[in-house]
Amino acid sequence: MSAEIYFKEEKMDHSYKIHIIGEVDIYTSNQLKEKLYSIVEQNQCDLNIDCKELRYIDSTGLGIFVGALKKVKENGKEIKISNLKENIRRLFQITGLEKLFTIEE
Amino acid sequence: MNNNVDIIKIEVPFKAQYVGIVRLTGSGVFNRAGFDIEDIEDAKVAISEVCNKIINTGSNSASCFTVEFKINENRLDVVFSCSDSQLQNVFAKQNDELGFSIISALMDEVDYGSSCNAIVTMSKWMEGKV
Repeated sequence: MSAEIYFKEEKMDHSYKIHIIGEVDIYTSNQLKEKLYSIVEQNQCDLNIDCKELRYIDSTGLGIFVGALKKVKENGKEIKISNLKENIRRLFQITGLEKLFTIEE
Repeated sequence: MNNNVDIIKIEVPFKAQYVGIVRLTGSGVFNRAGFDIEDIEDAKVAISEVCNKIINTGSNSASCFTVEFKINENRLDVVFSCSDSQLQNVFAKQNDELGFSIISALMDEVDYGSSCNAIVTMSKWMEGKV
């Protein structure tokens, strides 16, 4: 069965940017977890997650974001999340996670 | 049979790769029932949260669980059920706080395990959409 999630990565000067394309759910979440955690472990810098092409996410994906945040904070860095679709942004508000992450337009 | 209720029913194996299909079916049903895009997106997430919980719990006796979409005159009910009675208490401990808060916030009514074989029944009101 084909994967429904893809990533594009950009190494910036003082941060690392990852674009998440597709859907993060119980089926694809392990791919996101492996990707995010390896980026955090290999690049101890701020992480930018661009969600412009993220079509869907639920608690499985949100939990992975939180896990990545914990790892990043161990290195004194932060995660910025940008370009959230309105309904996904609302999910961050409902769960209180918008207080944990830096959310950018 | 209640002539005012249309029912669309699907049986889903306990496999993560099929949650997207339940979501797709749900979005189609909610769209057909006249809900707007915001309600449809809410329903997709709530439906997935329940599926996630059921699939993660699994069953030793049942090969699948059932998702029924019941289109009433003024509301749409989504009923999750399974022949395995062990699953009826899957939400009893309410220890998945993130999933719980999401489901409760996104759906108008949520009822856990009160009906025969039902694990969860959740509803969205139509508010004059029909």
